Amino acid sequence: MRSRHLAIVGDVVYPAVALAIGLLCWWAVAALGNVPSFVLPSPTAVGSQLLENSALYAENAIRTLEKVVYGGSVGVLAGFVLAVLVAYLPWFRTAVYPSLVAVRVLPKLAIAPLLLIYLGTGTTTAVVFIALITFFPLVLNTAAGLDRASSAHHELLRSVDAGFLERVWFVDLPYALPDVFAGLKQSVTLAVVGAVVAEWVIADDGLGFLVLIGSENVRPDVMLAALVVLLLEGIALYGGIVLAQRGVQQWLGFGSTGRR
Amino acid sequence: MISLEDVTVAFDGFTAISNVDLRVEQGEFVTIVGPSGCGKTTLLRTIGGLEEPTSGRVRIDGRSPEAAQTNADIGFVFQQHTLFPWKSALENVTFLRKTAGNAPEADAARALLRSMGLEGFEDARPKELSGGMKQRVSIARALHLDADVLLMDEPFGELDEITRDELGVEIRDLWRRERKTVVFVTHSVPEAVFLADRCLVMCGQPGRIEATFDVDLPEPREEDVFGTRSFQEQVAQVRQTLHENYA
Repeated sequence: MRSRHLAIVGDVVYPAVALAIGLLCWWAVAALGNVPSFVLPSPTAVGSQLLENSALYAENAIRTLEKVVYGGSVGVLAGFVLAVLVAYLPWFRTAVYPSLVAVRVLPKLAIAPLLLIYLGTGTTTAVVFIALITFFPLVLNTAAGLDRASSAHHELLRSVDAGFLERVWFVDLPYALPDVFAGLKQSVTLAVVGAVVAEWVIADDGLGFLVLIGSENVRPDVMLAALVVLLLEGIALYGGIVLAQRGVQQWLGFGSTGRR
Repeated sequence: MISLEDVTVAFDGFTAISNVDLRVEQGEFVTIVGPSGCGKTTLLRTIGGLEEPTSGRVRIDGRSPEAAQTNADIGFVFQQHTLFPWKSALENVTFLRKTAGNAPEADAARALLRSMGLEGFEDARPKELSGGMKQRVSIARALHLDADVLLMDEPFGELDEITRDELGVEIRDLWRRERKTVVFVTHSVPEAVFLADRCLVMCGQPGRIEATFDVDLPEPREEDVFGTRSFQEQVAQVRQTLHENYA
């Protein structure tokens, strides 16, 4: 037990020490290295910028979060529905799957200027953009996951005359869960990237927009403060997915180790 | 009672079994032995309604296999254990009965697991069980359906020989107590003889029943049967028939 406690303490202490050393180096270069603050502000300058304008950062954090949540929800739901169609309608799969796989190599961020032409600036355009880019990882992962159960499992259910919906609910979906969550994790990461890009190109609020404004006014302290908030927001979103996965899998009875 | 009348099963220009007639009496233990590709698995799947006969008729207690499925009258045991990794042994046993539309009885399921030597493993996940234990759970799952007919498709195919022998003794003992109608497919000749009241030899292709042996061995059948002269002679007979007809 003792060594286990030590290991857990180590899991917390080591990264914390590493982070502190990193911040210390940053501070040392900024403060002692005679670097002007419009090039590299010290961590304390960024910290006070955050504290003094906390309402501004909170407000814009919420704007960004809204785009991520709305766009992400639409993209993920649409992706899930399409994955189900791909998994269960062979003709649909044959027709659509090759295109989906091909489009995967396209850098989706490049669509943003196009959307600007079609939909104009504003939050709606940003939401559509985020929906588009979160959609792909979810479709591909979920479709693959729904294929994972073996035909022997399906035959077991057929042997007691279980219907198609029972098969999907009791066999295919639980087998697909780890893949669905893998897709969700990719989607949420992309959603934050997408929100920032959208705020540069199409929207006029949010943390990405603050970064842009900071850049135009040569205020790296503003930019860094926005990035710190963005980082925390990304971690919170990702952590939410991880917790949801843990909850669902524990409820179903997967071991705590997660994947099958 | 299972009856097949002139059953032929063909897939896209390939005939898996041809003109098979078979009757399995209520409470009879029939084994089907034959080389790979002789159609024995197809025959079993056709009895269980997982394949449609191209021509001919299959009846289980006078009804179609589909009707028997609906009534949860068929318990399948496959070569792969097909347990769900996220369910405990007990949940795996009760799940199928629930899916078949019958109320699961946890106490009965526990008793079944106990009788299969799995006491204390009710809450274990499949990954914590050995291959033999997983197959025991999947047999318990089929028994928990309370089906009259047990269809077993090389259920010991992925187990080591010692575990196979042990499980064979257990299955025969279980059958003596429960008197299910069992059709058991295997490519192990000693297993086919040891378990059977009647052993069918199948050959391909297309698959047909080449010979039938009424097995004569003392009851209850324990491990010591393997060493008896009578057992070995019957195994030799079946083996000879198989080799004479090997395509």
